[in-house]
Amino acid sequence: MIGLNTLTYLFMALTSVISLIATYLAVLEKDLIRAVVYSALQSTAYTILFYLLMAPDIALVYVPVAVGLYPAVILFLVKKTERIDGELGSVEGDGGK
Amino acid sequence: MSEVDTFMFNVFIFSMILNTAISLYGIFARPTLIKKIIALTIFSDTANVLAIAVGYRAWPTVERSPIPPVLTTSEPTASDLTSFLQTAVDPLPQALVLTAIVIGLAVTLFLVFLTLQVYRLYRTTDVRKISRLRG
Repeated sequence: MIGLNTLTYLFMALTSVISLIATYLAVLEKDLIRAVVYSALQSTAYTILFYLLMAPDIALVYVPVAVGLYPAVILFLVKKTERIDGELGSVEGDGGK
Repeated sequence: MSEVDTFMFNVFIFSMILNTAISLYGIFARPTLIKKIIALTIFSDTANVLAIAVGYRAWPTVERSPIPPVLTTSEPTASDLTSFLQTAVDPLPQALVLTAIVIGLAVTLFLVFLTLQVYRLYRTTDVRKISRLRG
């Protein structure tokens, strides 16, 4: 029979792998809006990790900051500036100026 | 079941180390300042999770399941305190991480408005284009 500790470690491994995939996608994504969404997914996985590591007060602080406020501020920044992560070709095209 | 527990805890620790590596790559190698800010938030959050994991008591060799560091009785007896000290996780990293999250929020807001000013002055957030500007 699966004990409570084993179940805790199973969820811990699952959420950490989800956060690893979300981090990889967020760093390599060209579209910044989608990168912010992947970053929010990673923050959700970290919230479950904080709860499983017996820190529910950290989870309560972390949810509005990292899932709510960080994506809102970065979406505001993306809306004010540019959306696509830069490619080297456009830099080479501007080289003569 | 102890080997399975150890394996899954190692998966967790190695995922956090790989997250640190990927976010450091994002900070140093991605050209856009906004992507650097996203990678910086991921990096600081990973450092916070590792700090909490240092204070976690039930590393896979311990049989007793841990509890949050909250004493629920108002007038604790000696046996209450003994069982609390044997099962509660360490509260010191949690206090430090609580401070670090709030400071990280302030730093991120500062970096966001610096990036906004850079875009208003230079019309780009690409560090390769900014490094080519003159005057």
